Amino acid sequence: MRLKFILYILISHISLQITYAQQRDTLKKDTANARQLKEVVVTGTRTPKSLQQVPIPVTRITADEIKKKGLVRLNEVLSEQTGMTILDDPHGQGIQIQGFDPAYTMILIDGLPLIGRNTGILELSRITTNNIDRIEIVKGPTSSLYGSEAMAGVVNIITSDPVKGVSAGLSTRYGTNKTADISLNSAYKSDKFYISGFANRYSSGGYTLQPSSGLPTVSPFEGYTLNAKSSYKIDAKTTIKLSVRYYTNDQDSKYLVDNRYAGGTGTEKDFNIAPVITHRFNDKLLSTLQLYRSTYKTNSDVRYTDDQSVYDQTYFNQTFNRAELQNDYTLRDNLKLTAGAGGQYESVEATRYEKLQSFTSGYGYFQADWLPVKKLDIIAGGRYDVHSVYKSQFSPKLAASYALSPKFTLLSSLGKGYKAPDFRQLYLNFTNAEVGYSVFGYEEAAAGIARLQQQGQIESILIDPSTLQRLNAESSTAFNLGYRYKPNSKLYWTANLFRNNITNLIETAPIAIKTNGQSVFSYFNLNKVYTQGAETDLTYQLLKPLQVGGGFQYLEAYDQDVLDQIAAGKVFTKDPVTNLTKEIKRSDYGGLLGRSKYTYNIRVNYLDEKTGVNASIRAIYRGRYGYKDADGNGIVNRDDEYTKGYFLVNASLSKPFLKDALRIQLTSQNLLNYKDSQVILNLPGRLIYAGIIYNFNKTN
Amino acid sequence: MNKLTTLSLALGSAFILLASCSKNNDVVTPETSKLTTKTVADLDGSTTNVYYSLSTGTQITGADTATNKWDIKFKGTSIFVNSGTSGIGTTQAQIVSSTFEALTVAPTADYKTDASGTPAISGWYTYTNTTEPQHAILTVPGKIIVVKTSDGKYAKLEIISYYKGNPNTTTAEFANLATRPASRFFTFRFAYQGDGTTSFK
Repeated sequence: MRLKFILYILISHISLQITYAQQRDTLKKDTANARQLKEVVVTGTRTPKSLQQVPIPVTRITADEIKKKGLVRLNEVLSEQTGMTILDDPHGQGIQIQGFDPAYTMILIDGLPLIGRNTGILELSRITTNNIDRIEIVKGPTSSLYGSEAMAGVVNIITSDPVKGVSAGLSTRYGTNKTADISLNSAYKSDKFYISGFANRYSSGGYTLQPSSGLPTVSPFEGYTLNAKSSYKIDAKTTIKLSVRYYTNDQDSKYLVDNRYAGGTGTEKDFNIAPVITHRFNDKLLSTLQLYRSTYKTNSDVRYTDDQSVYDQTYFNQTFNRAELQNDYTLRDNLKLTAGAGGQYESVEATRYEKLQSFTSGYGYFQADWLPVKKLDIIAGGRYDVHSVYKSQFSPKLAASYALSPKFTLLSSLGKGYKAPDFRQLYLNFTNAEVGYSVFGYEEAAAGIARLQQQGQIESILIDPSTLQRLNAESSTAFNLGYRYKPNSKLYWTANLFRNNITNLIETAPIAIKTNGQSVFSYFNLNKVYTQGAETDLTYQLLKPLQVGGGFQYLEAYDQDVLDQIAAGKVFTKDPVTNLTKEIKRSDYGGLLGRSKYTYNIRVNYLDEKTGVNASIRAIYRGRYGYKDADGNGIVNRDDEYTKGYFLVNASLSKPFLKDALRIQLTSQNLLNYKDSQVILNLPGRLIYAGIIYNFNKTN
Repeated sequence: MNKLTTLSLALGSAFILLASCSKNNDVVTPETSKLTTKTVADLDGSTTNVYYSLSTGTQITGADTATNKWDIKFKGTSIFVNSGTSGIGTTQAQIVSSTFEALTVAPTADYKTDASGTPAISGWYTYTNTTEPQHAILTVPGKIIVVKTSDGKYAKLEIISYYKGNPNTTTAEFANLATRPASRFFTFRFAYQGDGTTSFK
């Protein structure tokens, strides 16, 4: 009846209390509080839901945990999570979930998607975690609610709401490689109104793993995040809210091109604005109207240092606009319905596209959350996306959790996920100036080939562009089965088995040969792959001050076509000693590149109640993974095609002063100074930081 | 059950026989077959183009390189056949995906002669560029070159190494450009069927 309303009020009240407690006594009380309170998550169902009950795998990371570890950027936080791996890629630091590449995980801030991906990767260090309340991670396809991209999962960063009265804070961290992170925040909140402002500066002098080359591995950069949020309760039933976020980053670059130095600056700008109005019509119906506009721009100008002539000048402008209405309706106490609809307009204009390209799309989604008996929670839903360029998509999902006891919940879910062809795959028009190959998006292929033919650049056509199959969305069917076990306030143990069958993966393949001997590529729905594995995580309060934890993931990720080829005896390798060809066996195949079969982590946290001193140490192991094909068969199979497995040890030590208003912290990442300068370029070696955090709050 | 055991025994011994056949080609070849197999080590192509005759198993030099006496020619990373744009002969070739041993019958069709830009033999190596071992020419596994010589005889050929002494290319010594053995030294093995059939048994 009124349950939902009460729950809603309760939830907002509770979360306020947590923040308030954090403000006064950052670390001491929260652990106890969080255990006692019902932890609430919103990302898995787009409605507030108890973490113990929600029937899909969800991880919840609180600001408190992040602070204890001395972490400030999203990539740092996610890299320590069980079942998540930050990939080393020249296009940015992105996350791998359940064996999926970063392109398949949607990154949200307060439920709204971030845009701006470089070949599918959204650089996670763009996102500061200094102004957040928590991070929620949903694993498994969530396209039934979020549409394209949410195929491996969703990472939702939930920013913090201010506490009552006037509050302000300063947080700094400085250390190795002149890396500095400074945040300032201030807020005012009354019963009906709040406004908060946040500013962050993140800069680094960069580093090099090849000092003799005189070239940086990561160039110096300087980034700013500005964030403002305001909310006003017009009456008991209606609230309006506005949030604005701006991010800009300048990064120098330096290359060696044909024995000449080239250098310049690249700028990245990200702007989001999101007004929202919520209205409670009655006890049963809550409506949310959300508008969202996001723009992402990059600009880079790289010139030869000797004569200032242009080496590369590029720009990229992307916009994303959305209007969405969601209705949450409590039909009965045990049956809640959610229905939403929205429209989107996206565009991109860039050096590598012929002209401004745009997409229009519309979607509707529906979800029923039903508890036929108290112990059983069934969620059924689906989303239908209609798109101006590619085929319409329907993404259903069915999930259920069953509480065998109040302490033990079984959960399982079955769902579909998809990822639409992106602008690049549809519209790219690119010719590599140095090597001479060309790549055309599906929509550009025919015109591109015709143009090259006219210029006499085509030697032979391999696939007539007019016969190309229309590019379809990549899609997956996934199954997750697991449990949550919480026998008392000391122990929390989760486990999950997963399987993802992915079809229609978009890959490049040659469609013509140019007179210079190079190929012309376009995009095709080619591969069929699957990933499967198991994940488990456990946290245990061993002694009053001592908490230990650990997590483990086993992962298999294989290309089905390669498996078929191996079964047919058509894949070969060379014996490294004799260099003679031999046939590959199933057991020789190492699966997809960049996937570690084994990853695990061990965590220890010690909090001295008396002094407030907190010590945290975490060891993260990433097992060996294939990173190249050395024997020319296109797959990973030989020992020299793998990296070594390695440990990263991160630690942090902090002590509060002035009744916890001030906290001094010492943080180290990669304490063992692990480096692999040939293969792993995102590991700069040992990093040491010192930090100061100051919080101020006046209630009247 | 008994029948099954007998059958599997029979199959098993047949398999062993076959396997031993392929290991000792020159010993157990049937009388009618004129199959010769040979491994050529470090054919030196480092200074000049090298011409080779599969029927005689020898290098061809001097004035004979302008005749149809040779079958294949090594020039850097390119391997040519004696036809089309490469020579006056009618040698043809194609690449078959297989191990050397498993290829027991030559295809009867789809052979190509050399033409400008599209040689009959390509794709037998990869260039590593900037991945380790850097700037190396590595032979691609499973690329068996099948040659139909100017006088219509069939041969199969596997390129084993592009470097002197057929080194292990996964070692640090090979990765180091200072200690890497000299390139353009071809090690390869081939089986030449002198009876004119497509059989490599």
